[in-house]
Amino acid sequence: MRNLATDQHICWTYDDPGQLHAYARSYLDAGLAAGQRAWFAGLADPGWLPEGAEFVSLESTYAAGVAVDPKAQVAAYAAATEAALAAGHTGLRVFADCTALVRTDSELDAFARYEALVDRFIAVAPMQAVCALHRAEAGARAVGELACLHPRTNAAEARFTLRGDPHAPGAVLVSGELDSAADLLFPVALDRVEPHPEHGQIIFDAHGLQFVDHRAMLHLQRYAERRDVTVVLRTSLTTAAHLVELLRLTRIWIEAAG
Amino acid sequence: MRTGAGAGHTGYLHEAVCYDSDEHLLAVVLPFLLGGVEAGEPTLVSFGARNAALVRDALPAGCPVTFLPGGEVYARPAGAIRSYRDLLAEHVAAGAGQIRIVGELGREQFGDTWDWWARYESAINHAYDDFPLWSMCAYDTRSTPAHVLADVLRTHPQTAGPGGRHTANDEYTDPETFLLENRPEAADPLQWHPPAADVLDAPPEEARRIVRAAGEGRVGRARLDDLTLAVSEIVANAGRYGRPSTRLRVWAADGRVVVSVADAGAGPKDPFAGLLPAASEHSAGFGLWITHQVCDHVSLQRAPDSFTVRMTVKN
Repeated sequence: MRNLATDQHICWTYDDPGQLHAYARSYLDAGLAAGQRAWFAGLADPGWLPEGAEFVSLESTYAAGVAVDPKAQVAAYAAATEAALAAGHTGLRVFADCTALVRTDSELDAFARYEALVDRFIAVAPMQAVCALHRAEAGARAVGELACLHPRTNAAEARFTLRGDPHAPGAVLVSGELDSAADLLFPVALDRVEPHPEHGQIIFDAHGLQFVDHRAMLHLQRYAERRDVTVVLRTSLTTAAHLVELLRLTRIWIEAAG
Repeated sequence: MRTGAGAGHTGYLHEAVCYDSDEHLLAVVLPFLLGGVEAGEPTLVSFGARNAALVRDALPAGCPVTFLPGGEVYARPAGAIRSYRDLLAEHVAAGAGQIRIVGELGREQFGDTWDWWARYESAINHAYDDFPLWSMCAYDTRSTPAHVLADVLRTHPQTAGPGGRHTANDEYTDPETFLLENRPEAADPLQWHPPAADVLDAPPEEARRIVRAAGEGRVGRARLDDLTLAVSEIVANAGRYGRPSTRLRVWAADGRVVVSVADAGAGPKDPFAGLLPAASEHSAGFGLWITHQVCDHVSLQRAPDSFTVRMTVKN
């Protein structure tokens, strides 16, 4: 299993502006100390940014109020990261309050697809980001759907993580626990992480998976049917193989992982 | 077209053979098998090694009777039902008008795990009724405990005897009734000791952590994973369909882990829950069926104000 840093891309939820203020300041301070260009992306300049950090309005970065274009947004961050390096910084660090970007179902869907896409970029680029969400304003559904696409989160809504493998376009990484609480989140997440099948297969690297139940396995089977692929599930969980046999999941191959 | 006692019968004809000598067994089983062969019906024997040899020696040389390996098929009732349903479906697809099977359970199944085999014997009256099956289940009255024989008469509509006798069992009880009764549950000796964990209202993720912690090093990793899956399903069921509070208890010793999950509800209404897969993967019965497929023993106890599932895995 590749060791990917889990603090490169964080989904962070907060309940009041004071928490946002404290965490964003310390996050941006640490970036500046490490020589990074530090951006705070929000609806308005909060007025407490540390010296050297830059305010970037959501409208200029994400076009708030309309659904994000995932590919264009990732391209914009790639360009911004290049520019930061060209200007002599060690990379780009962004603290974005994304609450205003997920107000409707279509905004949430587009933004989640963007998150899945940008996660692949962040994993291998000199960029770090915190995607902050006001818990009450964004709502539990949006928090869960976005948190599970990040390698690290403080949100209890997601006990699993699903990410594209930045080193293999036909592979995804799944970790954590896929249980009854993931019954609604997992199929939604599956459709948002968009790997490119190779030889009719999508590899699910599940070394980090600690538990999987029959619901999640059935979701994987249906996902494979929809995409007309075989899912290769690499896991050390022997229960996964049992469930494939019991439920006759013909689209899932288990590769035992050590 | 069906032949023998199955002629004119629709669905499953389920008979017991309660024998007290080899001669008695052969006097029932040989005509049954030879009649099947003569009619061109798939004719199968699922006996342990001793009785398989007895029957094989008594059959004419080259007689096309299929001897099934027992072993894993009879590891657990839900697995046996699944395997046999697959087998029966294959024969019907191949054009069989009737399938004949004579089988027996091992003596080890008459011990602490008899309760779920009694449920099996009852449930298959329904589970195999989709097929033109005539089967005989052989029980040696010299070595089968009395309480097991009593259940045999309650779960088999008929008893077959020598001379082509087929007698209706007055004690026969519909599976819809039998399966909702409590079967006597043998206390596992581990349960004579205080549990390693005794927790109220643990959510599934906490229940999994508790079971893993208590079972670590006691049974192999794969068995512990299976038990963790089972407990997670049952605790989730209790939370969704049962009534609070849910009590989780775990006992562990080298080579064996026992978990009981009790809630204050009445348990599933479906008498076949656990032994047959529920129609919907979202129902409580689906998780209970998986539990029956991966554990080495599952017992169910119903009371007016509680439903308890006890799960055991061993190395």
